[in-house]
Amino acid sequence: MKNSFSLKAGALLTTAFGIILVSGSTGSLTFAQDALPEGFKKSELAPEPSADMIEAGKRVYFTKCVWCHGVDGAGDGPGADRLWPRPRNFNQGTFKIRHTASGELPLFDAKKPIPGQNDLFETVTHGLPGSAMPSWEGILTEEQRLQVLSFVTTQLVKDRKFTDKQSEAQTVLQLEGLKPIAASEDSLKRGSELIVEKKCVECHGAEGRGDGNAFNLKDDWGFSIQPADWHKCWNFRGSRQDPYNVKNIFRTFSTGVNGTPMPSFADNSTVEERWHIANFVNSLCEREADGKPLSIDPLTDKPKINFVVSSGVVEGEIPADPEHELWKNRARRYVAMGGQITHKPRNFVNRIDDIWVKSLYNDKHIVFMFQWDDRTKSVAEGKLPWAPTQVNVDVKEQDPKTGEEGSIASHQNNYTVYNDAIAMETAVKWKELPAPIKPRYLFGSNEQYPVDIVKWEADGSLRAFKGTGWDKDFEERDTYEENIKILHSEWKNGRWTVIVQRPLGNKKDQDYDEDTFFEMGQYIPTVFFAWDGHNGDAGRKMAVSAFYYTFLEPPTPREAYIYPVAIAFGVVLLEGWVLTRRSNKRKGKTL
Amino acid sequence: MKAIMSVGALIGVVGLLLLVGMILDIVPSNTVRLVEGYMPVQMLLELALFVAGFAGLSYMMTAMGMTFPRFWQGILFWAFILLYLKFRVYPPIPFSVRAMYGTVSLVAVFMWVSANEEDWKKFKQPIMNILDAQTGMNKLLRYAYLIVLPILIGGFSYNAMVPKSEEPIELRTVHPAPPASTKVHGKTYTLQTSQNPYRVNPEGKYDQEYTNANIVEQGMGRLMKPNANPWDKDAQGYLKYVREGGEIFFQNCHFCHGDNLNGRGLHAFAFNPIPANFTDPGTIAQLQETFIFWRVSKGGIGLPNEGFPWASVMPPWEQHLTVDEIWKVILFEYWHTGYYPRTWD
Repeated sequence: MKNSFSLKAGALLTTAFGIILVSGSTGSLTFAQDALPEGFKKSELAPEPSADMIEAGKRVYFTKCVWCHGVDGAGDGPGADRLWPRPRNFNQGTFKIRHTASGELPLFDAKKPIPGQNDLFETVTHGLPGSAMPSWEGILTEEQRLQVLSFVTTQLVKDRKFTDKQSEAQTVLQLEGLKPIAASEDSLKRGSELIVEKKCVECHGAEGRGDGNAFNLKDDWGFSIQPADWHKCWNFRGSRQDPYNVKNIFRTFSTGVNGTPMPSFADNSTVEERWHIANFVNSLCEREADGKPLSIDPLTDKPKINFVVSSGVVEGEIPADPEHELWKNRARRYVAMGGQITHKPRNFVNRIDDIWVKSLYNDKHIVFMFQWDDRTKSVAEGKLPWAPTQVNVDVKEQDPKTGEEGSIASHQNNYTVYNDAIAMETAVKWKELPAPIKPRYLFGSNEQYPVDIVKWEADGSLRAFKGTGWDKDFEERDTYEENIKILHSEWKNGRWTVIVQRPLGNKKDQDYDEDTFFEMGQYIPTVFFAWDGHNGDAGRKMAVSAFYYTFLEPPTPREAYIYPVAIAFGVVLLEGWVLTRRSNKRKGKTL
Repeated sequence: MKAIMSVGALIGVVGLLLLVGMILDIVPSNTVRLVEGYMPVQMLLELALFVAGFAGLSYMMTAMGMTFPRFWQGILFWAFILLYLKFRVYPPIPFSVRAMYGTVSLVAVFMWVSANEEDWKKFKQPIMNILDAQTGMNKLLRYAYLIVLPILIGGFSYNAMVPKSEEPIELRTVHPAPPASTKVHGKTYTLQTSQNPYRVNPEGKYDQEYTNANIVEQGMGRLMKPNANPWDKDAQGYLKYVREGGEIFFQNCHFCHGDNLNGRGLHAFAFNPIPANFTDPGTIAQLQETFIFWRVSKGGIGLPNEGFPWASVMPPWEQHLTVDEIWKVILFEYWHTGYYPRTWD
């Protein structure tokens, strides 16, 4: 750890020397000006926080932070080993989200909690989405947040000193003074060229889903790390609870992310170029069909969830091509996924945190289109460690001590590869379940009220299982498999698109006691599962959603056209009656 | 008087602008934050401020010779309350509850406008004017109403009848009645008599008073007492067990229940309903420690039939934790939220 840091510092020094030598030889006198990247300005180091602040901050730290960041701030608290990305190790003074130039300490001033001038304060205030670091606003007061940062920056940052003018300098990105360039078509086009020119795509992938040739990237501490998926801007660490704001992307691109392979592009791109890139990256983030940003739930900082997956009716054949008009025009639903951490083997770090679902139906079939981002296409190489049907597998979960072999963090990107997969679970005989019709979470109520699971795997298989209860193994269901069909499956630039067709269900061809029957206008409880084969996901080690409802949109009934007209006519009559009464009364009075 | 009223008017205008901003999505709805736990009081206070502001506004307008008709005051105030409930409060209040509040405030507005004969006359005057239609303007308005009202009502009923896919409403029992006893890891625990073996004083005796003196302080941040740090190297007894409980919590529970025990963990956004918020005074603060022991050990699947619809992914933690670990986690949860477990007497 130490070594990598000093190496880095050495490299920095050498570069600095190089610059001095070069500028010396050309005889330039405006060295300081030249060395500054465009858009940056030198600034003074902040004064040391008071001893009172530091002491008070210790109390905050040991109540709230120690559990993940550890007693010495080395990012090794009790929670650390089951988190990915891991909690920050403060000791080296390496912080990701900053306004300062690459390699420099972030801005922190215990007396100035001003947005844009206090990076660490903003990190604590807004949290780091996509990681376990929550937003502490509303939990800790402003004062408490400044106190705890005073403690962290003076006591837990050990290798560097925030106030040491000899070793530290601050070159600050003047973000407020730089006017963003409008995201015009030209700007986006220039941005799309620049991300290739600047080699962004090498790590972030051709479509920016973080699927470039960067699979084995490591951070300064040797822990695996993955490039950002530009399509999920709400997971950007530096999104500051304002994910569609292009300034955040501009800042990260200008300053780089310390401690990770993401460099600063300030030296080799102009401010204008950076705006074009930021505009383009921002334009890739998922949006509504009309181009508006998705509405973000302020409680979770993720897109708002609607739990009804509605299926649209189609006359005739349902297309197998995802580019078909019918699919393109179909509304999609955001389905949030969490790790399955209730049954062994538990999945604390699910890599798939959302999927997009669309659905269409005709008189015979219902078809689901699943799309989700997965940085790696995984087709099983090794034998599964446990049967895909098995639950409560007796695996030794690692002794959660930081630094030990076999911890989740040291395992990342190092698993035997299994199949990527997606599955949907629907309740069987849901009509007979008492209201609200939901089986006992998660895997069916019992033998009488089972669930029906249809699972697609990246090796091209489509299988059906039956779930009969919480701690029960799934049962294979060969009888249903001949009824279901893969219409399309493709992994392209970090995104899977899978289209699966299944029967609506009727008593003649299907088994009412084992298969889900889909009915128009009814709410059918549905759960989604997802597996990332490169994450060691197999069997119950997977990502799960909550209960959603599949809803087959019924056509508008005739009554909806008749009754309103009748009602409106009734209102006209009522109006006539009131007016007549009033005028009679008045006449009576005046007479 | 005038000064007070103009301050009131200012508050009214600023408040209205904020609300309009929130409705049009210009001002983020969390500009003025609703603080968890204080939300109902805060809402009442805000509404009171608005009422004061409107009173001031109305006074000022009258003083400036622009009297606002009582009729429109009533209607607009009611509309204001409905908009406030819909756009100000987050997480959103379900429609059924808003409809209830709306009815109550409609009654209140009626009581206000009909407080005495004169007020009532003032209130219904505009309606009568339109009905009588003695001026050209009123005649025009009357025809407009004649046409617009049926269209509007027809439109509403069409809207109500067109098939929609709204999530079915789901109610559930939050704290179902516990059983008399529960069997965990082969041992039976009677809920009424069992005690947390780690809630002890330095002499090793069960002691609520001693441990309650060492929990975190209530108030923003809920920080630990300055001389009761579980991470102190010399921490013994209760505080040491708290730390051990915290270690288990941050290896197993925080994924859902959150770093601050507020039900907003890393995976919480994917679940519905969201995981229990222990900082809410309605959860562990209301319950006995043994109740928590039963719920943690048996999880969502162990809920009794009355606990329908069992919408819980809480695993039976007895499958992952020992009895000692469960007691320690419970100890930590009370310590970290600064609540006392309820006792049986």
